[in-house]
Formats: sequence, C-alpha cells, structure tokens
Amino acid sequence: MPISSGTLPASVVKLTAVEAKLLAREPGSFFAVVIPLFILVIFGFSLTPGDAVLLPTTLAIGVGLVGLYLVPTTLATYRERGILRRLAATPLRPEALLAVQLLLQLGLAVLGCGLLPVAVGALLGAAVPRPGLVPWAVAVFLLGAVAMFAIGLVIAAVAANGRSANGIGVLLYFPLAYLAGLMQPRHLMPEALAQAGEFTPLGAFVRSLRDLWAGDAPHPVHLGIMAAYAALAGLAAAKSFRWE
Amino acid sequence: MAIIEVSGLVKRYGGVAALDGVSFSVPEGEIFGVLGPNGAGKTTAVECTAGLRRADAGRIRVLGLDPVADARRLRRSIGVQLQQAQLPENIKVWEALDLYASFYERPRDWRGLLAEWGLAHRRDARFGGLSGGERQRLFIALALVGDPKVAFLDELTTGLDPQARRDTWDLIRRVRDGGVTVVLVSHFMDEVEELCDRVAVLDRGRVVAVDTPTGLIDGAGGGHRVRFRPLTPLDDALLTALPEVIAVSRDGDQVTVTGTGDVATAVTGALARGHVLVADLRIDRRTLDDAFTALTGRSFQP
Repeated sequence: MPISSGTLPASVVKLTAVEAKLLAREPGSFFAVVIPLFILVIFGFSLTPGDAVLLPTTLAIGVGLVGLYLVPTTLATYRERGILRRLAATPLRPEALLAVQLLLQLGLAVLGCGLLPVAVGALLGAAVPRPGLVPWAVAVFLLGAVAMFAIGLVIAAVAANGRSANGIGVLLYFPLAYLAGLMQPRHLMPEALAQAGEFTPLGAFVRSLRDLWAGDAPHPVHLGIMAAYAALAGLAAAKSFRWE
Repeated sequence: MAIIEVSGLVKRYGGVAALDGVSFSVPEGEIFGVLGPNGAGKTTAVECTAGLRRADAGRIRVLGLDPVADARRLRRSIGVQLQQAQLPENIKVWEALDLYASFYERPRDWRGLLAEWGLAHRRDARFGGLSGGERQRLFIALALVGDPKVAFLDELTTGLDPQARRDTWDLIRRVRDGGVTVVLVSHFMDEVEELCDRVAVLDRGRVVAVDTPTGLIDGAGGGHRVRFRPLTPLDDALLTALPEVIAVSRDGDQVTVTGTGDVATAVTGALARGHVLVADLRIDRRTLDDAFTALTGRSFQP
C-alpha cells in the first residue's frame, strides 16, 4: 500500500523528525545504547589483546535489545494509545509511522553498535574485521537486525498492550541471549543447547559476527537461518499486525 | 443539501448487530448530534461514516464520497476527534499540531488554533503533562487543523469542568459558523439540547428518532408542566384558550397545566393579564431525558 500521496513526502519528513525527537526522549532508547556499552567497558578491562568475542557479543546484545525490547514496546504502545488509529483518520497512513519507527530504531541500533568499536579502539586493541570483510559485516549486521526486528514486530502484533509487549520481549530476550552464548561462554554450555543456539536468530547472528572477527566470511547456513527468521517472522507480523 | 447521507447501515460484531439499519442525513452547516446511552452504537455509526470502520451493509456518502472506496480523498476533507485516541506522552503541544498540520494540503495556521483553544501558554508542554481539559482541547484543535469541511467529534466535553464545557460549546458554535459541519457524538443530554441543530437518537443499534432537540421534547408527548395554587378564583378557560396548553387539571386547590413549547411563559402571562394571584408556582420542563424514555420505554442511563 502506498504510504503517501500528493504533498505528503513533506509530512513524512516531519513525522520522521518528530518521531526521532520522541525516540531520543524515551529512556528505553538510552538503555538500549548504554547497556551494551556498559558490558563492553566492564569486561573490556579483562580483555586479552586481539579478543574476537567481546565485541560480537555486545553487538548482538545491542541489536537484540532494540529488536526484542524497544521495537515491540514502542509499537504496541502506539497501538494501545490509539495513535495508529488516529493517524488512520488523516491523509497520512499509519503504515508511514510504522516504517518511520522501524527505520529510526534501526538507526538507533546502528548508533549504539557504532559506539562499541569506537569504545574498544579507545580502550584496547581488540580485533575488528579486516577491511576485506567490511561489506560482509554490514550485510550480517543488517540481516541480523532485520531478523530481530521481525521478531519484535510479531511481539508487537500479538501483545495486548505496551506493557505486555515489554514483558514478552524481556521473556524472549533472556533465553535467546543464553542460547546465543551471550551469557555464558559457549564451551561452558551443555553441548545440545550450544548446538540448538546456532539455529536461533541471535545465535546465528553472533556466530556470523565471530566468524568475521576471526577473519572468516560468515557461514552461509547462519545467513540462511537469519534470512529465514526475517522472512517467516516478517510474514507472520504482516499477517497478524493489528492497527487498533 | 445533505453533506452526509447514511442509509441502512449495518455493522455486526461476532454475530451481534451493533448497528441495525441506521439511517440519517446531515445538511451542510449543521451541528448534528448523535445521542444515546453507552452501547447504543453511536461511536460505531460515526466511525463507519468517517471511514474508520467498514460497515457490513448500507450506503454512506460524505461530501459525495464513499468512505471506503474514496477513503484517501475523504480523509483530506474531514477532521476527527476520537474517544480513545491519545498522543505519545513526550510529544509537545506545538509538535503535535505542527505534525498534524503537515498531513494536509491547506492546513489552518496551528498557532491561531493554539490561541483559540486556550493552549498558547501550554505550547511547549508535553502531552503527558496536560490536564484532562487541555488534552481534550488539543484533540479538538487537531481535528480542525486540516481545515475540514466536516468535523466528527466523539464525546467532546468528557473530562471538562462545567465552565470549560460552556466555553467549548461556544467554540463549537463558532466552528459551525465558520462553515464546518459538525457531527457530535454525546451521551450528555444538556450538551445536545444546548448545542445541536438536530439530533439522531440511537438505542440498541437503531435510530429511534431524528429531530431538533425541541421537536424531540415536544414529540415525546405530555409536554411541559406548570403547577400552582391559585389564591384568587381562576377560570380554566383562561388557560385552555392558549395555543401552547394541552390540558388543565385540578387536584384539590392544586392546578396542573400541561403544554408544549414555551407553555410556562404563556401561562404566567395569561395569569398576570387575568389578575390571578398564584402561590407555589413550579415549572417542570420536559427534557431530552423524558423524550428518550418516551421513545424507548426505558430511562436513559449514560
């Protein structure tokens, strides 16, 4: 469905500006940026030079927090408060707000994750992917973010309100983060869980990042897993999303 | 010319008919009331008319447009204030108005609206910090910012104090006088009686009457009652000759006159001209509440 008509691009620009301000005023955005940075700094001090684990881990935490916590909470709250419905009565469509929100939250994830390598560079010499792998890194980041956002959209679709979206997001975040090996080093986890973790979206994301940090291209299976989650969750969200 | 035409509107929720053949039409420039108790289908009827819900059956034209097929064109010419729509907590008053103004091709100057609706001093306040009355005024301003031809206002004065309600009524009259047709959903009898040019009374998904408030009250039968105790002899013919009077009855020394329209003024005038002194004069004006009871056989419980 087209989201604009006639003079509307100007209104989409204004909507983006207002929503960006609202996102900046939202304490949740602050935490989504600061928590990964905090973890990085805490564990950064015990880092061995050339470490290829901590940065991918905190990147995945950052994307996971935005996708599973901020995206569903924001959108479910917008629906709960009738904001989407009110927009449906204007020449602008509520779809525009959805699109603007997702883009801004992706921007927030990029901002939060962008701070991490900078902080690492300032702290100590942890590895970053070699220049030849940067396009892969961008692709992996986007694919991982889209997969997590799609799951966040499903939560937003099924949650009754903003508070329950928040609850579902947190409930889902911890097992996914554990299975992805974000909470405990992989070699300390039960083997079956560690293997199962590879088939979770966050697990595939963090494995791909670690491959990149170890100097390898991401494994196609992990890319496929993220793409599959993105497609299936995206489809489920599109089918089940309610505007009111 | 009718700016809104609704006929045979049906809307079911899970097999239950929320609207069961609703019809009404609104001429341009009217304040048209949709009155009824909670659950009567008022909001559903108006939301279907404004294109926010799809009716299961019936024909709707607003400004000659079908709210479903011509939704995009219609949305440019209507303004809506919804009952259960909020704004983000952290949006500032001016940001909301500026944003909503940008959705329309020829919006009104939102700074003027801000002053008109008494929000100029709250320009930089966040929505979450506004009082109930301020929020309500902001919603009305948002409904008008696109310079609509038709404004749909759902439970306009909910949350307003008595003085703010009266001020709001004055502003709504000004909106109409500026050429905007207003459709007003309300369960407040006094509001509808005071403000509306015509009213559709809804009960259990059906329109039970469409008339002016005065017409509804007079049509309810019985009319108004004037009661008094004459202190000097009174010939009933003095009163029965009045066109407003329907009946005169006596109970002991108590006289009860029923009538329509402004029967109280007519009766007191006639008594004065006939040099009849009275005591314990009481005037029971019939209200829309009585009209509703007469129309539905039930008392109106908002």
